[in-house]
Amino acid sequence: MTLSPDLVTRFSAELRGFGSSLPDDFARAAEAVAEVLTPEEVERWAQSGVDLANHSLRSWEAAAEYFRASPDMARRVGFAGLQHWVDVSTTLSARSSLIAAAFLKSSPSALDVLSAHELDAWSQQGDRLCRGNWKSIALAALYFQTSPALFQSLSLEAVGRLVDIIDQLTERSYELATTCLENSAPIFAGLHAADREPFLRFARAVTRASWADTRLYFERGPRLIEAVDASQRATFLDLASRVTMAVGRQGFPLFADAATALAEVETADHAELLGFATRLAPGSPQAAMEFLKSAPFVRTRLTADQMQRWAETGAEILTVEHNAEGSEAFFRLESTRAEEMMRTLSARVELTSVNGMLRMYAKALSGEQVSVQSTESLVDKNIGWMSEASATTEGTAIYLPPFVNTFEEQAANFQVYKVFTTHQTARIEFGSFGYRWAEPGVHAPVTVPDREARRAEAPITVAVAEGESEPKVRGEAATAIQRYFNLFADRPLIGGLFTVVEDTRIDAWVSREYGGIRRWLRRLQSYEADHRPEVRTMGLRQGFVENLLRVSLARPETVRWPTTLQEYLLRGIAALKVIEQPGATVQDSAEVAAAIYDIIVSLPNIVADLPEGDWVAPDEDMISIAPGMPSGGGEGEPGMMPNGEEVAFENPPQPEFRGDFKPELVQLLMKLKLQQQGQQQDGVNSPLTKEQLMELLENSAEITISEWAEGDLASSLGMFLSNLEKEAGTPAGDPKQKGEGDTGDQPGGGDGSDDEDLPMRIDYFYYDEWDFRAADYRPRWTRVGERLLDEGDDDFYEETLRKYHGLVMETRRQFELMRPESFRKIKKLEDGHELELDDAIEFHVDKRAGVGPIARIYSRRNKVERDVAVAFLLDMSASTDEEIEKQRQKYDKDDDDDFDGDPRKYFQWLAQRRARQAIEPPKRIIDLEKESTVLVVEALEAIGDSYGIFGFSGYGRENVEFHVIKDLDEAFDDRVRRRISKIEPIRSTRMGPAIRHTIHKLNEYDAKVKILILVSDGRPQDHGYGRDRTEKEYAVHDTKQALVEAKRDGITPFLITVDKEGHDYLKQMCDDIGYEVVDNIDSLPRRLPTLYRHLAAE
Amino acid sequence: MTTTEQHSGFKQIQVEDFRITEEPFYLPISDEIELFETAYAQKVPVLLKGPTGSGKTRFVEYMSWKLHQHIGNVEAEGVPLITVACHEDLTASDLVGRYLLEGDDTRWIDGPITRAVKVGAICYLDEIVEARKDTTVLIHPLTDYRRLLPIDKRGELLESADGFLLVMSYNPGYQSALKDLKHSTRQRFMAIEFDYPPRDQEAEIIHRESGVDRAVAQELAKLAEKVRNLKEHGLAEGVSTRLLVYTGKLIAHGIRPRRACQTAIVWALTDDIEVQRSIEEVVTSIFDE
Repeated sequence: MTLSPDLVTRFSAELRGFGSSLPDDFARAAEAVAEVLTPEEVERWAQSGVDLANHSLRSWEAAAEYFRASPDMARRVGFAGLQHWVDVSTTLSARSSLIAAAFLKSSPSALDVLSAHELDAWSQQGDRLCRGNWKSIALAALYFQTSPALFQSLSLEAVGRLVDIIDQLTERSYELATTCLENSAPIFAGLHAADREPFLRFARAVTRASWADTRLYFERGPRLIEAVDASQRATFLDLASRVTMAVGRQGFPLFADAATALAEVETADHAELLGFATRLAPGSPQAAMEFLKSAPFVRTRLTADQMQRWAETGAEILTVEHNAEGSEAFFRLESTRAEEMMRTLSARVELTSVNGMLRMYAKALSGEQVSVQSTESLVDKNIGWMSEASATTEGTAIYLPPFVNTFEEQAANFQVYKVFTTHQTARIEFGSFGYRWAEPGVHAPVTVPDREARRAEAPITVAVAEGESEPKVRGEAATAIQRYFNLFADRPLIGGLFTVVEDTRIDAWVSREYGGIRRWLRRLQSYEADHRPEVRTMGLRQGFVENLLRVSLARPETVRWPTTLQEYLLRGIAALKVIEQPGATVQDSAEVAAAIYDIIVSLPNIVADLPEGDWVAPDEDMISIAPGMPSGGGEGEPGMMPNGEEVAFENPPQPEFRGDFKPELVQLLMKLKLQQQGQQQDGVNSPLTKEQLMELLENSAEITISEWAEGDLASSLGMFLSNLEKEAGTPAGDPKQKGEGDTGDQPGGGDGSDDEDLPMRIDYFYYDEWDFRAADYRPRWTRVGERLLDEGDDDFYEETLRKYHGLVMETRRQFELMRPESFRKIKKLEDGHELELDDAIEFHVDKRAGVGPIARIYSRRNKVERDVAVAFLLDMSASTDEEIEKQRQKYDKDDDDDFDGDPRKYFQWLAQRRARQAIEPPKRIIDLEKESTVLVVEALEAIGDSYGIFGFSGYGRENVEFHVIKDLDEAFDDRVRRRISKIEPIRSTRMGPAIRHTIHKLNEYDAKVKILILVSDGRPQDHGYGRDRTEKEYAVHDTKQALVEAKRDGITPFLITVDKEGHDYLKQMCDDIGYEVVDNIDSLPRRLPTLYRHLAAE
Repeated sequence: MTTTEQHSGFKQIQVEDFRITEEPFYLPISDEIELFETAYAQKVPVLLKGPTGSGKTRFVEYMSWKLHQHIGNVEAEGVPLITVACHEDLTASDLVGRYLLEGDDTRWIDGPITRAVKVGAICYLDEIVEARKDTTVLIHPLTDYRRLLPIDKRGELLESADGFLLVMSYNPGYQSALKDLKHSTRQRFMAIEFDYPPRDQEAEIIHRESGVDRAVAQELAKLAEKVRNLKEHGLAEGVSTRLLVYTGKLIAHGIRPRRACQTAIVWALTDDIEVQRSIEEVVTSIFDE
């Protein structure tokens, strides 16, 4: 079909008014269209274009797109389709030509996926986004631009739902809506087909719950779910949608956390985890997510089966006990039950749970004041020990890895700990660190002096450190063991040998002395022997050491060694056996190691390239070889050396149960300790010089310098040295004799007798908190930091005494009137309340016999010293800053309102008040607390009961501050007086932990009657002390629980509050616990003695 | 007067007639025998100090048996030994004697100390600090050169017989300051200190006393040494030799060592669960089953 030139001319003329390119676009399109349409149709097609261009002000832009897209469209939909298409566009163009243009432009590519009759639906979706304002127009245009790409991955209907989401976002932020829409196409294209719908469903849920999170979801969602097993993503997303619909705002964060958690778990386990979570979801969506979040942690402790059983318990809380909060806490691992359960199920043994017992065990075995600590704390000291995984000792304490998970049963893992402890204790008990120069052993002759003499003739040079040109000659050794090591050119080799030999000796001793542990020692030896590295890939020297190790693990059958060199190894093994004989000492170890060293250095450290058959498996000879020191030198038969490549020597890895062994460092530490204590050992080579220390550290094979010295070697060494010296300065033994008291951030400092100039010492204690919803404790939830309150000046105390002179006297008199509550029967009195039958009979008999004329036959209950301890716990929260007057007003508004509308009366009142305040500043609640304290102190001093005064405040569960104003056993003195004046409002009111700590203190104190009096201004509240800021239930319940705990421990709790509104929650909190609302200090002296007598009477 | 009555199944004798007829097993640790013999000859009262179960009572018994051979006492079997376990309700009449009603009459009954003074026995006051302070004052005239016992109710003064010696035992370990021995009392005695014997000797004692074989006895002694390391660190007192002998007896008669140690040592020593576990771990380290 040809195009009539007339048509082009005609319409071009009409189009000339609209921008320069339009006629050209038209002309080009007309030519192409004419190939598909009849001239008549072309005519009508062209007319539609012109109509469109004329439709509104800028609709010519749409017309341009119309013309450009037409050829393609004509081929796709034919003339009828074109007609409809342009109708739709015209409608859109009524909204905005921009939208119409975008629609027209995208149409051909949309039709790649859509069918012609879906055009309407498509256009309506875009139309829906348009609300008439320019932002919505841009968005709708964007929609048409991007939707063809979206249709590649989503159905029209699904895109419709996406539009719903976008549309919802527009109500909040067009910018957000735009970003989301822009990103949608690549996001959905990147997802697996099966995940797209669920992704969209969750998107909808997120948008509804918390629109702002939609951006995060679009940004991070795809990456987050990528970590989830492909077959499980849909399940996970659907679960997340369900959860989000239930929990709202929290939905997305939960999803993100759960996804992150899943990423840490093997994908193979995802199906099971998600299956379980889906089961939980109907009862508690939150619990389902919490379960997923905890999964990685739980999996480190439990096997899949164990975890299953653990999770079932949590599920039962939900399904059987119908306690959703409880099961959430369970899965959040914030419940004692969850922890207990995990502990029982887990095979893993934590050091924290056995360390007290192991400490006593080690003390019993060694007879020394050893403590047992985590290896982490040793590594932190940075004194040469680098590994947190292996047990070790530095001579005064035993360091064990934080947990053991070697075997599958808990009991077995405990035995592993025991073997660890026994081995380290045995090093102390059997003197591994007690090497003395040239002292004879029991089995081996002394050769070290000869060796030293030979060395002196041919002085060896120290391995040249990098960057140093001059090799240094060794100076005088700082310790005996260093002097010994100095005899050998290859320090790592002799170090490794000495370790193997000494550990062999220790194992032999342990086997002999502790028959009961032998079985487990064997089992661990065997376990280690089964996990040794391959010998044949090692250099000969290293292989030699490795083989000795295997022999020392009592598994000689695992030895592998070149047949031709068998003699060497046999002599080595024979020497090693010497050390297993009864009575062997560390002196023997040193000689045996030296002898073996001589054998080994005659071998080159090459990887022997030998066929399978040339490696000896051990024969009878080797297994049953008799102990014997090698005689003569180490000359072998050099002709028989196998070929191979020379490699650098490296010690084979230490068996785990033997742990790190660093005799050189330990001897150095001991020496430094002695030096600091001022006791010089035999006065020979002391005191240590800095140079000596530096040299020791630089040469020692026990410290891998590269591991800790980054940068300047000299300054690293210097720091290291000062760490060592600091360590040597701290007294040996148990840092925490007193149990829980955990000395915190600040160093504990000396003997504590003179703490004037020391930094504030804070002891940390951990307490559970009661979650009433879960009906369970949150384990170690709060941290209470106990510290002494700063001291203020004396004035306040004196001032108060002066001010309330009368009250003080009255209170004191009241207290003095109190009769003591504790009595004791005193017998053999001439006069008393009761007759003692035994004495009466005896008197009768004596009277008959004519002797014993004194009738001491009565008994009386008499007073003894009072035995009462009372702890006052003062609320030091910020709210106590409030003026009492103001608070009173709050409640007594109506009373003050009697000015009869007369401003003069009001101003009069105001003036009076101001005048009053000028004389006497308004009294705050804290002042009332302080003044009462003064009164109470005066009174209690009068009757001599033990009492403590404590204040509490803090912020958040980690920072509960517990201020000691006067401890229970502290004498009342000026310092206490000064501390009272320092009582000030600080922060929040987390009562529970403060009460628990006071209970702890009272429990430690020996008294018959114990009382806890809590003085507060109002209800408990703190950051995170409840579900949200406004919730009070949680705090009240926890406080109540703490008070119940007090009663359980035989302490009488009592609450005094100045909050007039107190009655309602106090009733709930106190139940059967006494409380009193006091708002006037004047009433305190009258009330206190009565109260106190009442409380102390039990 | 016949003092020994034979009843079916048990023997009832007057305290002053009690004799140790067979040599009690006692393994001297140092020169305590010589010290005691000299003290006895010189009539110097003796205070035996030491932890519970360290052999104080056994030592007195042994000395009572041994002394007659040297001194040539009239009684062939040994020096009578009269033991009084002291407690806080022990009164002066409990020690010295009292009148009893008999029909319409009264009869005087000598207390243990009076009997000992009369027959010249060793009077052994076990755990003397448990007694009331006014009671302990009573013995003062007996312990110096006077060697007299005043009997107030009868208005008599009793001069001690030749072989009389006052011996007291005292455990300085666990008594509180409240119950410490008064200086006026303690300075009337010479003191012999007792402690748990060294490992080999203790093993010998366990072996001899319980009949358990020497190897096990040695292990028990080792265990004792380890457990005693815990004194003041969880345990108020170390394990006594007496307990070890009991344990040995259990083992010798078929109880498995671990179980025997648990019942006779661990549970006997402490109620603290953690300390119990620690000691049990020491036990299981030493004994295989």
